[in-house]
Amino acid sequence: MEILKKSTWRDPLQRLGLGWMAFSTSVFAEGSKQAKAFDEVEYQLRATLESPMNTIAGLTEWARGINHVYGITTLVVTLVFLAVSIPLIMAIVKFRVPEGTDLKQLKPPKQVHGNVQLEFVWAVIPVILLLFIAVPTWEAIFEQPEEAPEDALVVKVIGHQWWWEFQYPKYGITTANELHLPAETPVFFELTSADVIHSFWIPKMGGKKDCLPGKDAMNSMFFVTPAASEIKTLGGEYFQGQCAELCGSSHALMRFDTVLHTREEFGRWTQVHNQPPQVTSALQEKGQELFAQCAVCHTLAGTPSEEQEKSMLALGTPKQGPNLSNLGSRKMLGAGTRWNNQRNFIEWVKNPQSIKPGATMTAFGHLSEEELLALSAYLMQSTVKKI
Amino acid sequence: MAKNLPQTGIISWITTVDHKRIGIMYAVTALFFLLFGGIEAILMRTQLMVPNNDFVTGSTFNGLVTLHGTTMIFLFVMPLSAAFFNYLTPLMIGAPDVAYPRMNALSYWIFLFGGLLLNFSFVAGMLPDGGWFNYANLSGPKYSPTHGIDFWVLGVQVVGLASLIAAINFFVTILNMRCKGMTLLKMPIFIWTTLVTQVLLILSLPVITVALVMMSFDRSFGTGFFDPEMGGQVIMWQHLFWIFGHPEVYILILPAMGIVSEILATFSRKPLFGYSVMVYSTCAIGFLGFAVWAHHMFTTGLGPWAQALFSAGTMLIAVPTGVKIFNWISTLWGGQISFTTPMLFAVSFIAMFTMGGLSGVMHSSPPIDYQHQDSYFVVAHFHYVLYGGAVMALFGGIFYWFPKVTGRFMDETMGKIQFWLYMVGFNLTFFPMHFLGIQGMPRRIYTYAGDQGWNLWNLMATMGAYITALGGVLFFVNLIYSCFNGKRAGADCWDGRTLEWTLASPPPEYNFAVDPEVTQLDDFWVRKFDATGNRVEPALQPEIDPATKHLPNPSFWPLVLAFGILLLACGPFFDAKGIWLSVFGLGVMLLGTYGWSYEEA
Repeated sequence: MEILKKSTWRDPLQRLGLGWMAFSTSVFAEGSKQAKAFDEVEYQLRATLESPMNTIAGLTEWARGINHVYGITTLVVTLVFLAVSIPLIMAIVKFRVPEGTDLKQLKPPKQVHGNVQLEFVWAVIPVILLLFIAVPTWEAIFEQPEEAPEDALVVKVIGHQWWWEFQYPKYGITTANELHLPAETPVFFELTSADVIHSFWIPKMGGKKDCLPGKDAMNSMFFVTPAASEIKTLGGEYFQGQCAELCGSSHALMRFDTVLHTREEFGRWTQVHNQPPQVTSALQEKGQELFAQCAVCHTLAGTPSEEQEKSMLALGTPKQGPNLSNLGSRKMLGAGTRWNNQRNFIEWVKNPQSIKPGATMTAFGHLSEEELLALSAYLMQSTVKKI
Repeated sequence: MAKNLPQTGIISWITTVDHKRIGIMYAVTALFFLLFGGIEAILMRTQLMVPNNDFVTGSTFNGLVTLHGTTMIFLFVMPLSAAFFNYLTPLMIGAPDVAYPRMNALSYWIFLFGGLLLNFSFVAGMLPDGGWFNYANLSGPKYSPTHGIDFWVLGVQVVGLASLIAAINFFVTILNMRCKGMTLLKMPIFIWTTLVTQVLLILSLPVITVALVMMSFDRSFGTGFFDPEMGGQVIMWQHLFWIFGHPEVYILILPAMGIVSEILATFSRKPLFGYSVMVYSTCAIGFLGFAVWAHHMFTTGLGPWAQALFSAGTMLIAVPTGVKIFNWISTLWGGQISFTTPMLFAVSFIAMFTMGGLSGVMHSSPPIDYQHQDSYFVVAHFHYVLYGGAVMALFGGIFYWFPKVTGRFMDETMGKIQFWLYMVGFNLTFFPMHFLGIQGMPRRIYTYAGDQGWNLWNLMATMGAYITALGGVLFFVNLIYSCFNGKRAGADCWDGRTLEWTLASPPPEYNFAVDPEVTQLDDFWVRKFDATGNRVEPALQPEIDPATKHLPNPSFWPLVLAFGILLLACGPFFDAKGIWLSVFGLGVMLLGTYGWSYEEA
C-alpha cells in the first residue's frame, strides 16, 4: 500500500495521466489511419443531422405541433437551468473558503434560516413558467381525434413478434413491413397486436402509440400525410419507423418503411399490388410449386394461398407469417433487417434465425441451391415498374 | 440460548440485532450488488459501442437490461438508502436502537436472500428478460416459458417484503423514539426525508405485492389476469406496476435529498435554508408522487382527459422540487464552503438532479412524450435523476459518514479523483443520450444499423461508461484501503450539526450513555457557540461500561424465518413438485416465528 500514500501520489498520478494521453493519442492515430478520421467524423456528423428517425424534423401537422411544444419547453427548461446554474456557480466560487483554512478558528457566517418572501417567489415563478408549457400541451392533446374522420384512409396496423402487418380494408390489400401512403391524405390507423405489446412509431410523421393485444384494446392514431412536394425520389419517399416497446429477443429488429406516394401513384399502387407473380420460365414454375410449402404460413395475393388463408381464418387459426405479395418491390427484408436482394433472401430462407434470433419461421436449410433460386425467381418479382 | 451468543466473530454478525451492524451489512451487500449492476451496464455499453455488434445476443441483452435496472433499484439504491436509515436514524434522533431490532435483522436477511434469488438466474442460465417493469403479456407463460421471469417476480417479491418490514420499523422508530425535546420540526432533515420515504414504501409496496402475486399466479397456475387470450388485460399490469413504480422514484430520490441537505449545511457552516419549507416540499413531493403514475403510460391510449390531468399533476411536482433546489443554493450562499469529497458530490447532485428534473418536466407534456417515450431521451432523463442525482448523493453520504462508522476518513485524494472520473464519465455517457433520443433511437434495442446517425453518440457513451467504471474501481480500492489505513477520525470530525457527531467514532454499541436532550434544530452546532458567537466546545457523549446498559439480545431466529421465506419462494421453480418445497419453507417460517415469540428479547 506504499504507493497509495499521499506523498507519493502526485508523481504516479502524473505518469498515469501522461500514459493515458499517450494511449488515447495512439488509439486516435490508429483510428485515423483505419478510417481516415476526418472523413469519418464529417460523415458521422452529417449522418447525425440527417438521422432517418429524427424526432424534430416533423413533416405532418401533428409532428410539427409536437415539435412546437417541444421547442417552447426546451426554451423554458434551458432558461430555468441557467437560472439554477448561474447562482450555483456564483455561490461556490464566491463563498469558497481557501484550502487549508482552520475552520474551527473562523467565526461562522451569518446563520440565515430562511426568507419567506424569497421562497414564495421561487414557488410562484415555476407555476407561471409551467403554464407556458401546459397550455400548448393541452391544446395538442385534444387535437387528436378518437374516431376516424369520414374522408380518412383507414389502415389497420397489427404488430407481430417481430414484424408489422398493414391492412387496407378499402382496397383488400395486406402488406408487411412496408406501409404505403398517399400524400396530403388524412390517414386513420387502427392499432392492435397479434401477440405482445408493440409500439407503432414513425418519428417524422408524429409520435408513437402502443399496439395492444386483446379484442377490446384497439388504439388509434391520426395524421394528414405530408404534401407531395416532400417526395424527392422516384417511386415514393421512404420514412423509417420502428417498434418502440420491448417485445422480446428481436425487438431491435422490428423496423418498417413508410413509402409516401403522390395520390395518382398510390392509386396505381392499389391496382397493381395484388397481381400474382408471373410464371414465364421453368425456374419460376418450379418456384411456384415450392411455394405450396410456404403457403402454410404465407399468402400471395391472387394465388390459391389467398383462398387457403380465408379458410384458415374461418377456423380461427390465421396464418402465422407475413403476406408476401409483391415481395420483390420491398426495400428491406426481415422487418428492416437486411437489404432485399436475392442473396439475402436465400440466406433468410435457409436460416432465418441467423438473421433474426427467435424468429418463428421454419428454417429451410434442406432446400438445394437450385430450389432456392427457383423460389426467389418466383417470389422476388415486383410490380413496382407499373406504378 | 440467545444470551450466550458471542459478541465478536462471524456468529455475532449473523445473530446481531444492532442497528449499526445491520446498517453496515446493508451497505456492504448493496455495494456488492453495485458491482453486479455496474458490470451489467458495462456489458450493455460494450454491445452498443458500434452498430451491428454481436458481443451479446438479443435475449442476453434483454436479460442485462432487466437485471441492470432491477439490481440498481432494488438491490443497490434502495438497500444503500436503507443502510443510511439503519445506521443513522437512531443516532440522529438520540435513540438506543430502532423500535423492533429483531425485525430489523429479519428485513436484512430477507433482502439478502431475495437479492441472491434474483441473481441466481445467472447460475441457472435463465435471465429474466422482460425489462425492470416486466410488462405483461410478454412476461406471461406463453411468451416467456422459461423460469427466467420467475426469478424476477419472486426475487422482487421477496426483496419488497424486506423493504416493507423495514419501512414499518423506521416509521415507528421515528415517531416514537425521538429524544427529549426533538419535536417533529426539530428533526434533522434527513430524518424527515426518511420518514416520508417510509410512508411512501408502506403505501406503495402492497400494490406491487398484489400485482406480483397475480403475475406469479398467471405464470404458475395459469390464472390469466394479464392474458388477453383469457380475457385479462395487459394494461392492468401497467397501472398496478406504476402505482408502485412512480412513488418508487421518490423512494429512491428523497433519502438522497436528505443526505445532500445535511452535507450542504455542514460544509457551508450554515443551517439549511428554509428548513420548514423543505419539510413541506418533501411531504408535497411524496403526496403528489402517488397521483402521477399514468405519465409512464401516455402512449398506451389513455384518452385526452386522463392525459391532461396526469400531465398537470406531473408538472405540479416541479414546484416543490424547484423550491428545494433554490433552497439548497441559498444554503450555500453566504456560507463558508469547503470542498471536501462529500461536498463535491452534494454540489454536483444539485446540478445533475436539476438537469434530470428539467428533462422530466419536458416529458410531463404528453405530446413531447409521444416522441420521447421509450427513446434514449428517457434513458438520459432518469439516469440524470437516479445516477447523477441519487447515486452521487449516496456516494457523498458514504464519504461523509464513513469516519463515523469506522473511525477513519476515506482517502480524500482518491475520493476527488473518483468524483471527477464520475462527473466526466457520467456526463459523457448520458448527455449524448439526449441527442440519441431526439434522433429516435429506441430504448432496449440490442443492436442498430450503421446508417441511423447514432454511431458517434453511442461510441461516446460507451467511452464515458468505461471512464465511470475506472471511478468505480477506484472507489472500491479507496473503501478497502481506508478501512485499514485511513486517517483517524475523532467524534466530531467534520464539525457536524446533528447528534451522531456527539458520539465516539465508531459509536459504542449502546449509542448514548446519557439520554440526549435537544432544544432546537441543529442543537449540537448551536451549542458550539456562546451568546457572543465565540467558540465553546460542547460536551460529547461520555463512554461507559456497556454492561450497565440493557441492550436487545442477539438472535438466530430472524435468519431462520428469512430462510423459510426463501424456501417458500423457491417452490415455483420446481413446477408441480415444488409445492412440497414451499410447504417445507412455510414450516421453517413457522418454526422461526415460534422460536422468535418465546425468545427473551
